[in-house]
Amino acid sequence: MTMKNQHNMSRRYFLQLMGLGASGLIVPQYTQAGTDSLITKSIPSSNEQIPVIGLGSSRTFNVGNDQLALDNVTEVMRHFFKAGGQLIDSSPMYGSSQSAIGYALKKLVKTKNVFSADKVWIGDSEQGSEQMQTSREYWNLDSFDLMQVHNLVAWQAHLKILFRMKQQGKIRYVGITTSHGRRHDELAGIMKTQSLDFVQFSYNILDREAEQILLPLAKQRGIAVIINRPFQRGDLIHALKNKPLPEWSNTIGCKTWPQFLLKFVASHPAVTCVIPATSQVAHVKENMQACYSPLPDQAMRRRMIDYVEKII
Amino acid sequence: MGELASYRLSDFILFSQTVYYRQFELYNQLVWPLHILAIIFALITIYALWKKPVWGGRLVALILVVSWLWVAWAFLYQRFYQIHVVADWYAFGFVLQAGLIIWYGLIKNRLTLFVRSQLKIKIGSALLFVAYAVYPFIAYINGRSWVQFEMFALAPDPTVLASLGILLFYKVPIVLYVIPIVWALLSASTLIVM
Repeated sequence: MTMKNQHNMSRRYFLQLMGLGASGLIVPQYTQAGTDSLITKSIPSSNEQIPVIGLGSSRTFNVGNDQLALDNVTEVMRHFFKAGGQLIDSSPMYGSSQSAIGYALKKLVKTKNVFSADKVWIGDSEQGSEQMQTSREYWNLDSFDLMQVHNLVAWQAHLKILFRMKQQGKIRYVGITTSHGRRHDELAGIMKTQSLDFVQFSYNILDREAEQILLPLAKQRGIAVIINRPFQRGDLIHALKNKPLPEWSNTIGCKTWPQFLLKFVASHPAVTCVIPATSQVAHVKENMQACYSPLPDQAMRRRMIDYVEKII
Repeated sequence: MGELASYRLSDFILFSQTVYYRQFELYNQLVWPLHILAIIFALITIYALWKKPVWGGRLVALILVVSWLWVAWAFLYQRFYQIHVVADWYAFGFVLQAGLIIWYGLIKNRLTLFVRSQLKIKIGSALLFVAYAVYPFIAYINGRSWVQFEMFALAPDPTVLASLGILLFYKVPIVLYVIPIVWALLSASTLIVM
């Protein structure tokens, strides 16, 4: 894509956002990897399309009952939805994040467009149902789209319950998560033996261990993949913020490092959705722009790795 | 327990610095004017350590008990627990420490024998200085809004530091130091990884 086209695309997107923002409604276009439309990927078990950029809530939405901060979370989510975002991920482990999301959803009256992803995180599986019920109340939802076993905690017992809930129509998808490269072998074993819809783990341009086993396995088994910590919890952005973006990053529509890093993760063929977390409106807008321009191909992904490894 | 062992401390620090310090701002607004009582508490402890009146030990113990219990309930459980999933355990630890001070300080009246070690007195005085004179200005010193200040008897860190400082003036069982030292290490680690 030429520079001129890039500028036209950005301008068109900006005007689209402004116009639709003014009317209070944005209708995202669900096309696969288009150049000026929302990039979505398919959930293998259902073929449902979801935008490739989602929203995490670890740390950033854990604001207690601070009214100012709750209103800020609402603004972040408002802009996330306006840019076409759908999947929001949380966990009982994230303190007050779930109730902050619920507060925002109630204010935005936008729940029908949310792809709600939460987790069960409790050692005693008998208390799992109660925890999930509490989570639903925090979110102000009747049911979750996706329920995941958080960090493999008591996964055998929890998965049995989740599969039953899926059969009963109480949730639509079942998943399991880990983070920070923990227990990949055990996760791979679960992916091989269980009928999972989703799996979630950490992956970024420097931490690429998941490329060895987990990502190919997910592709082979038809499991959707959510990626957490695409910025290494902010460390990557901190390390790169004073380094120059390569000139060729324009060709994949990247104007900032966060977009560059998100594009890298989102472009892996096995990745379904990346969930960067932020508490800033400017950042959620910036992140979501990575959802509106071409994803890098394999050669470009290699070039991105080489460049970052060289300058960091 | 197997799963728990796979976590690191940073995995439990699921709040930002901004949100953490904002808790003190909101808390200070909520508990005002208890700050005046906290200053009176601090002045009483200084007087008791300096003049060593016969009633000093039990009164100091009572002030410490009230402070640890208040911090456990009002800050750790009511506020910090909202953003930190293990803060209820912290609150439990503070209640336990209050129980130990009730036993050794109020019931057994052990805060009466003063140490002679100048080193302990100097370290204790330094800790009291930090808790009473530095912590109320720590937010301002660190470039944050001054209303995010932390005071003895109201916030955990200055309460723990002052308690350690006070205990160093007395010949007291080692067990009284355990929870304050564990908290000091935990709090320092939290502030570093946050």
